[in-house]
Parts: sequence; structure tokens; C-alpha cells
Amino acid sequence: MIRLSPTLRRCLAEPRVRVGGGLMLALLLVALFAPVLAPHNPGEQDLLHTLAPPAWTADGEWSFALGTDSLGRDILSRLIYGARVAMRVATVAAFGAALVGSVLALIAGYYGGWPDWIIGRAVDVWMSFPPVILSLILMVGFGAGLNNVILAIIIVDWTRFCRVVRSEVLAVVKRDYIPAARLAGFSHLQVVLKEIVPAVTPLLLTLVSIEMGIAVVVEAILSFVGLSVEPSVPAWGVMIADARQYMYEAPWGLIVPVLGIFVSVLAANVLGDGLRRSVDPRLAQRLAVIR
Amino acid sequence: MIESGFGIVYRRCLVAVPTLLVVSVLVFVVLRLLPADPLAMSLPPNATQAEMEEMRHDMGFDRPIPVQYAIWLGQIGRGDFGTSIQFRRSVSDLILAALPTTLELVAVGLTLGILLGIGCGVLMFAWRGTAKEQIADLGSVVVMSIPEFLWAILLILGLGVGVRMLPFIGRIDAQMTVPTTTGFLLIDTLIAGNLPAFLSVLEHLALPAFSLALGLTPLIMRVLRSSLFDTYVEDYIALARLRGLSERRILLRHALKNAALPTVSLIGVQAGFMFGGTLLVEVIYTFPGIGNLMVQALRNHDLPLIQGIALVYCVIVLVLNTVVEVAYLRLNPKLRKA
Repeated sequence: MIRLSPTLRRCLAEPRVRVGGGLMLALLLVALFAPVLAPHNPGEQDLLHTLAPPAWTADGEWSFALGTDSLGRDILSRLIYGARVAMRVATVAAFGAALVGSVLALIAGYYGGWPDWIIGRAVDVWMSFPPVILSLILMVGFGAGLNNVILAIIIVDWTRFCRVVRSEVLAVVKRDYIPAARLAGFSHLQVVLKEIVPAVTPLLLTLVSIEMGIAVVVEAILSFVGLSVEPSVPAWGVMIADARQYMYEAPWGLIVPVLGIFVSVLAANVLGDGLRRSVDPRLAQRLAVIR
Repeated sequence: MIESGFGIVYRRCLVAVPTLLVVSVLVFVVLRLLPADPLAMSLPPNATQAEMEEMRHDMGFDRPIPVQYAIWLGQIGRGDFGTSIQFRRSVSDLILAALPTTLELVAVGLTLGILLGIGCGVLMFAWRGTAKEQIADLGSVVVMSIPEFLWAILLILGLGVGVRMLPFIGRIDAQMTVPTTTGFLLIDTLIAGNLPAFLSVLEHLALPAFSLALGLTPLIMRVLRSSLFDTYVEDYIALARLRGLSERRILLRHALKNAALPTVSLIGVQAGFMFGGTLLVEVIYTFPGIGNLMVQALRNHDLPLIQGIALVYCVIVLVLNTVVEVAYLRLNPKLRKA
């Protein structure tokens, strides 16, 4: 039998963690098995069946369960493949931003002094700019592509982690067990890795979860503007931008990708909310402020 | 040390100069990474090599990047933001013409979001421990999970196309014209004494401003509720109860003001984010503001225009931060001078 740690067990007992985590897992599985799940090739055009309605309406066909777009591409297949883009961005960008942000936060919070000053000023500069606009400018400079989107989100959003984790590190460093570990002969690196990192991990996981939702939204905004993945890659933002021109005759093409984004962000928010409640009830305000 | 309001403004201005310099360098360098030719989008496809070179020289793109930056910075020092590649017009003129639209939209959206957020937050707190609170909590998570630009689309689908209740294209009825005085149509229509035009502007603002507000409302609501919880453990609340004040009076007169501080800082951060939200909302509602202008500039690699608008956003956020810090000082008795 597998023994779960008490913290993990407490997390899994929280209904929000189960619902949010379950939804997120389902989305990740859809993304992973997209080639198996999707009934059509997402780029395949069927010009005889353009703007077809969903299957349950009078003119619908089950071969295109959610209908087709203006080029006769299967909306369900594009939705499923769109999850691939969204989930890759969500996971890689969120963990990347968490890594960069928390490494800098550990340096700033543990060592203080001039590294803290420089990192603090960098955070200030980043905060003096709406994040969406910074990511759009980065994408103009980098050019289209999934990896560039991920890089842009990491460059923009590391500050979300850095600010919050730094203040947590400052609180942890004051506790008695830190000098005790030093006296016991731990090097600075050992103190950071064995004492401080475990102490800030619960907070970090909550932030990662919320960041996954933010990353999905940012990717959708970038692809809506046409500054995200290459035009041939199906992304939810691209689907929305395309379907917007036909919203009167075919609102489904618009509603389906909107739902995809909504479910992903909801999953991330509910999971983050649940993790926060189960690991540390005191964080309520701080988290609400960073969103 | 306790600072006065003027002290804050003074210090913020000192910090603003290096911040703007760093932001301008970052934006400038990132845009020079551009893998494509920035002129390719604006020259006719049959332009000759010589014409390309001439234009490149005119725009200064043939010089080394540090030199380009120095020239640009020198121009800004004289109040000249350069010339837009796609519009062939001065960047400052374009921005000044578009800025009032965005400021008006954000002002209305922000006001709406704050009022709704405070109202819902107080209600949710008043409902504490009941089933209504659970529903409001769930509702706030749902609303929070839909970003502004999706609200913009959903509101058009529901209220614009579905019920045909509100207009969703442009700032005012196409048939109406109002002489431009300030560029803020709500003010200009009143100056002109044109009530139908004023109402038309309000109608046109309703959906885009509401889309922006919905991004803010659930956040304010949740933070306000949680700080109200913190406030209610204080002695003066118990004392007010002993004095026989009604629960309603305690909540609205005593607790709300003391619980307002975290909400004020939240609004400060979120107001800056709201300017980011205006980009797609303006595109979706065809509002001719700086968000829409920025999206066009980004799509067409109009580097001078992107740089100019980027600096404007930076100035806006710095001003907002200062305003919030002064408001915080005003509201927090612990920071006030004796």
C-alpha cells in the first residue's frame, strides 16, 4: 500500500483540489492523446461542409460533432489539438516562470544585500508595465512559435513568483531552525535546499497552479492577435479570431474555444484555491492580491 | 519614516526617470530582435531595392542599434516620438488622438468594477455562513476564470447579437457627430449640450466597460470579504455591538473603511492590468483607442509606434502607482503624521 504524506492527504481531502486537479488532469490527458482522440486532422479542410452546425441541431452531422469552421475544418478536432498548445504552454511556462522566479527569490531573500536590491529593482521595472503588453512586444521581437510563446511568458511572469516567494523566504529565514541548521554544519546551499525550499514549496505549488491558468489566457490573447504559434497550428485564440467573423451565422465556432479556455482557467483557479486552503489558510490575502 | 503625500510624489518622480529609461532600452532592444524587415509590411510589394534602402536610411534602421537608440532618446527629449511606419504620421499625434478613448473606457470600467466589487464583497460577507455565500463564492471563481476579452465576445454574443439590446461597434452612433474639445466623448457631448449623443456614448461604452469591470469585480469582492473577516475580530467591532449599533451600521460605517486598505492596493495593481485588458476589448468593440492602435502597430511591425505607446503605458502605470500610494497614506491612520 502506498503511504501518502499528511500534507498530501490533506490536499486530496479538499474537494476543490479534487475537482480542479481532476479537470486539469483530464485536460492534460486530452492534450497528450489528441492524435488518438481527434476524429479528423485539425488542418483538414472540407470545403463542401463549411460552417456546419453541431451534430444535435437539425442540419448537423455526427461526422462533425461540434460542426465545422469557415474552411470546413472539424471544430472538435481543432478543440482537442488546441488543448495541446494550451497545456504545453500552461505546464512548461508555469514551471519555467516558477523556477526562474523562485531561484531569484531565494537569492534575494536569503542573501539580501546588493543581489536583493538588483532583483528588487528588476521586479519594480517589470511591474511598471502591463504584463500582456510586454508579452506582445516580446513576441514581435521573437517571431511566431510555441517555444517563443513559452519563453515570453516566462520572461513576463517570473516576477509573480519572485515577489511572493521572496517575502515567504524572508519569513522562513527568521525561524530558529535556520541558524540551528547552520550550527549543525549545513552549508548555505544545504540550508537553502533542505530547509528553505521545502518550506516555500506549498506556496509555490499554489502559485504554479494559478499561473497555469494565466498562461492559457496569455497564449489565447497572443494567438487571437496573431502573434503566437505558426498559423498552421490550431490554437484556441486563433479559432476565436477566425470564428468572430462568422459569429452571426455560426456562433458555435466561437463558443467552443471560449469554453476550452474557460474550463482550463477554471481548473487552474479551483486547484490553486484548494491547494491554498489546504496548505496554508493565512495566504488568502496575499494570493488574492497577486492575481 | 512617515512621508507626506508630496514626499511620495517627489520620490516616485525620481524613480520614474530611471524606470522609464530601463523600460525604453528593453523595449527598443527586444524590438530590434525582430526576425523580419520592419519595412516589409509598409512598402508596396514591387518596391525596388534602392527604394527599400532609401526608406531604411530615412527611418534610421541602417545604423547600429545603440546609435538608433541614442537618436530616438534625443528625439523624445524634444517631445518627438518619431513617425509611424504604417500611418506615415507623427507617433505623438496618433497617440494623443487615441488616448482619451482608452482613458474614458478604463475610467468607466474601473468605476463599474470597483462599485460592483465592493457591493458584491459586502453582500458576500453579510451572507457569511449561509448557502448564498457558497453560491457567491462559486460565482466569483467562475467569473474570475473568464478573461476580459472573452467577456467582450460573450457579451456581444448575448446582449448585442442575441437580444440586440446594446450597440457594440465604435464609440458613438455613426450618424452623430460631436465637435472634439477634449476627446473624451462623455465630456464633449455634454459641452455640446447634445443629450442624445451623450446617451449614445454611454450605450456604446456599456458593454466594453462591463467586460473590463468583470475582470476586476471578483478579485475585489474576494479580497474585501477576506479583509472584512480580519476586521471583525477587532475589539472595536465588539464594542460597537455592546453600544447597541445595528449590524448594518457596524458593517457599513465601521468595518468597511478599516477593511479597505488591501482592496486599495489591489485596485492599484489591477488598474494597470486593465490597460492591458483594453487591447483586445478595444479591438473587439472597434474602439479607436491606444489599445487598438497598439495591436495594429504590433501586427504591422510598426516599431516607432510600438515604442511610443509602450512608454505611454509605462507612464500610466507609474502614475497609477503614485496615486494608489497617496490614497493608501490618506486611508491608513498608522501612516499619517500626527
